[in-house]
Amino acid sequence: MRLSLKWLSSFIDLDGLSTEEIIDKTVKAGFEVADREYLAKASGLVAGKVIECHDHPDSDHLHVTKVDIGDEVLDIVCGAPNCRTGIKVIVAKVGAILPEVTIKASTIRGVASNGMLCSLLELGVKKELLDDDSPSLSGIEELDDSFEIGETDILSKLGLDDEILEIELTANRSDCLSVFAMAKEMAAILDRECTLPEYEGASDIGKRSDFHLESKTANCPHFLAKVVGSVTIKESPAWMKEHLIASGVKSINNVIDISNYVMLETGQPMHFYDLRTNPQRELVVVDDYEGPYTALDGVTYDIKKGDIMITDDGRPSGIAGIMGGENTKILDDTTAIIIESALFDGPTVRRTANRLGLQTEAAMRFAKGLDPLAQKKAVDRAVQLLIEYADAKEIEETVEWGKEDYEPYEVVETVEHLNMVDGTDLSEDDIVNVLRRLDFRPYVDKKGIHAIIPSYRSADIKIAEDIDEEVIRLIGYDDLKATLPKMPMTIGKLTRRQSLRREIRDVLANSGLHEVVSYTLGDAAMVEDELLPIGEAICLSSPLNDARKYIRVGLFNSLCDTLAYNLAHSNRDVSLFEISTLYAKEGVMKEHLAVILNGDLQSSKVLHTSTKADFYVIKGLALELLSHLGYDIGRVRVEVNDLDTVHLHPYRSCVLKLGKETLAILGAIHPSYLKSKKIEDAYYLELDLDLLVESSPSKIQAKKISKYPEVSRDLSFVFKDDIAIADIMRTMKKAGGPLVKHIEVFDIYRGDQVKKGHRSISFNIIYSADDRTLKVEDIMPVHEKIMQVLSANYGADLRS
Amino acid sequence: MSDIQRLKEEALGKIEALSDLKAVEDFRIAYLSKKGIVASLMEKMRELPKEEKASFGKDVNILKQALTECLEEKKAILEKEEERRKLESEKIDITLDAYTPKLGTLHPLTLVQEAIEDCFIGLGYKIAEGPEVELDYYNFERANIPEGHPARDMQDSLYIDEKTLLRTHTTAIQMRVLEKEAHDLPIKLICPGKVYRRDNDDATHSHQFMQAEGLVVAEGITLGDLKGTLQFMIDSLFGEGHTIRFRPSYFPFTEPSVEVDMSCHVCHGKGCPVCKGTGWIEILGSGMVHPNVLKMAGIDPTRYTGFAFGIGLERVAMLKYGIDDIRDLYSNDVRFLEAFKRLD
Repeated sequence: MRLSLKWLSSFIDLDGLSTEEIIDKTVKAGFEVADREYLAKASGLVAGKVIECHDHPDSDHLHVTKVDIGDEVLDIVCGAPNCRTGIKVIVAKVGAILPEVTIKASTIRGVASNGMLCSLLELGVKKELLDDDSPSLSGIEELDDSFEIGETDILSKLGLDDEILEIELTANRSDCLSVFAMAKEMAAILDRECTLPEYEGASDIGKRSDFHLESKTANCPHFLAKVVGSVTIKESPAWMKEHLIASGVKSINNVIDISNYVMLETGQPMHFYDLRTNPQRELVVVDDYEGPYTALDGVTYDIKKGDIMITDDGRPSGIAGIMGGENTKILDDTTAIIIESALFDGPTVRRTANRLGLQTEAAMRFAKGLDPLAQKKAVDRAVQLLIEYADAKEIEETVEWGKEDYEPYEVVETVEHLNMVDGTDLSEDDIVNVLRRLDFRPYVDKKGIHAIIPSYRSADIKIAEDIDEEVIRLIGYDDLKATLPKMPMTIGKLTRRQSLRREIRDVLANSGLHEVVSYTLGDAAMVEDELLPIGEAICLSSPLNDARKYIRVGLFNSLCDTLAYNLAHSNRDVSLFEISTLYAKEGVMKEHLAVILNGDLQSSKVLHTSTKADFYVIKGLALELLSHLGYDIGRVRVEVNDLDTVHLHPYRSCVLKLGKETLAILGAIHPSYLKSKKIEDAYYLELDLDLLVESSPSKIQAKKISKYPEVSRDLSFVFKDDIAIADIMRTMKKAGGPLVKHIEVFDIYRGDQVKKGHRSISFNIIYSADDRTLKVEDIMPVHEKIMQVLSANYGADLRS
Repeated sequence: MSDIQRLKEEALGKIEALSDLKAVEDFRIAYLSKKGIVASLMEKMRELPKEEKASFGKDVNILKQALTECLEEKKAILEKEEERRKLESEKIDITLDAYTPKLGTLHPLTLVQEAIEDCFIGLGYKIAEGPEVELDYYNFERANIPEGHPARDMQDSLYIDEKTLLRTHTTAIQMRVLEKEAHDLPIKLICPGKVYRRDNDDATHSHQFMQAEGLVVAEGITLGDLKGTLQFMIDSLFGEGHTIRFRPSYFPFTEPSVEVDMSCHVCHGKGCPVCKGTGWIEILGSGMVHPNVLKMAGIDPTRYTGFAFGIGLERVAMLKYGIDDIRDLYSNDVRFLEAFKRLD
């Protein structure tokens, strides 16, 4: 809210307080001061009178003037069209500092000019706050005769010597949208007295009224209406205009200004109708109107069922809580009005205002909540002001629909409890003193300290802890001692899932991969074209846009897109991973790890070495990672990928199984998918982290190292192409028995030397025993048995 | 001078002049091998009269020993020299960077999350998690955000259906733990995770972001305990020596509620562009757990109190690492990620 310090000082004596001090205290009490501005700011101003005004010889719009400023007559060149002999003007003398410019003596097209004649705009006043007929809008300001030539106190006399604080209110303090409540709050913060105008009961007057008032919706539970049979439309008093302008509200005429002014004072939005437009003498609130309606801003809005509307005689007369209607508004010749002061349901008003794109002060106030007694307060204050400033007569009694929903109440708090919550050591006097500053009228009895909560604070202050907050925020947090909780020792540690995640991240990052965090939400194509989706994708009912409409059901597209983005930005050799939880319909929720490899994992051009990503690299990475996590090769089975050959290369991909469950799928990404993403070559792994969390890893088991030397033998056989190497090696191990410690493939050859459809595979076999040095006669029978079995089982030929 | 003496002088002179290991070997063969000059002297001894044999033999042995020692010495020197030449011939340009092992990176948000987790694990906290697809019951209702509150509006939250949405804050995790562990107090936990709001992405807003919240519920927990705990966290995240200040604020699920500022980590309170000249940086929101929240979980608020706080991981990352656009964190451009290769 915009708080005018000048207006505030009409309630609180601000003497001796600098603006800085006021801001500091306000901030510490929980109100952020977003901005501080002057209504107008200029030095070196003086009132003058134009005593001569001629056209500039060398210009078609400039005037050459002589301006009397009392102790001297200045030559000033002025471009304003309304500049003429005889008017009183604001003169910025040489040296004057205006918001945009510092005035210097100059020569304009050959004529000397020693100062400037000013428009209010040049003094920093905002255009939208000026009257429509203000001379400042098109020229220079014209001062009235109350200004003496030579007078320097111009801004204060124009009511523009005000400073405005833009205060941000937290959601619980919308009461401070009322200047009266804000003044009370500031008085509490500054610990000073606050004197508000007396107006209670001012509307309890009037002759009997036959005005019909009715609400047909629960969204308008309370409505006060009052007919004022005679008003005079004229200009508002200067102080009211000043306060309105300072608050950012344009002055229109006394009657409309009063409705706005009372809203600013009490927080209650009001609306005045021209009585002439309502021959039926009734207001009926409905929420089933449908159709176009033109509001007083001249715009036609599409009203739908559910919007709260004010009607009379079956036709709409205003959009409730948001804006009055074009057909019922106050005009310059209005002579009688209906006052509306009602309570409309905040969420409903907010929804309508949002849909219509009509964010008015009134709508905002209903949305944020009102003082439950505000309807009556506003009518009281409005009647008081209308009588005094609009010659209100022929006033009828107030007509009421429904009742205000408010019972006065107290909140009780004890010194002990307050100190326990706040961690303070305050005395009863300290607490009572703060509550007194807040006008909570505290008293003490056996139960504790009682606070009587004013109606405007009733939404916020309900329980003892609310009192605790009020007390400490006004005492200040600066002296609050920092302690640590006194409680039993607990052991902090990660869950198995959390440790697994960290371990995976560390292994992969140490292998040269970059972790990414990508968006959960994607478009329809993303979830429809996913590798092994975990289920049917969830669609948002209120998405921001179509690109962020679905919750992803896999990580394949996210990672491919991230890779493509990097490649498109000239990054090379990009290997990435992501760990994320996925969600699908029917409560399906799974945590996955995804890895994508592209280009070289490690390389040196000068040394002519590189580890280039391929199927075996990503498979090796997956198996080594799993072995690191406690799932060694013996437990993880590599099987043919028959799950998805659309996104992965059908002959260069596989699945990893743990028990009966599929743990992971991995392989080369399908060339046609790569093409669609403009990626040349990439390898992918997606792993079900939940499965790892659920199954227990093997324990670390130390190995006894043999003291005896190893014997190494090589063996080359020619096999048919479709015989799997893992099969062959299993067979060899089985045939070889305990002396075979290790078998490794060191060469695979296809070519002229080998039959078509066949390959020669060379193995290195390590033999060793734990209890002796092996002799040739120990090894030979085993080695020969291996060769026999290979021939017998696979029809393999020994390659010479 | 005897013949042997003469031979010795001559041979030592030759050794002195040897210039490479081959010459050393040639010399050894010529003088010290089985058929060498020294061996032939021994042959000659047989021809000598008996009484001369002993002294001649002694002289030859002395000669043999002297030549052997001297030759070994020479050989060692030449070997050393040879090695030096070989090493010199292996000289490479050490200024070339021919190989840089590639280290990967953890995402900066992970770094921040782990830093926060580790700080609190040290204090005996557990790490709790919960679903991102959440019931509005846990996201709002249990957090004391009743129906009609603007935060529950379709405009601000990403709803799936009337009762389900993408959680808007990790407070939802707190609410689940409170419900589950109401009878197993005290509670000390940190709950990190992704959250979602209906915001358009720009330099300072992201529809997806991360939070870590903390929750302690026990007997006798005070606002002072919150201040001490947060001081500890800020010091461990940004380095020792930061001061923090509380400003009153409002959150539906805490009462009292405070906004927490820390002294600017760049200028240490003097005022700079990072802290907009104030010397303070707004870092997190916190407060004492609202009695309604405890009550809804079945915890007696007259006996137990608690504090809660929530910090944005992006905010910490942006402050710590000098990131000025939140979208950089989600672009996953490896040129950006490379910066996080090093120890924090």
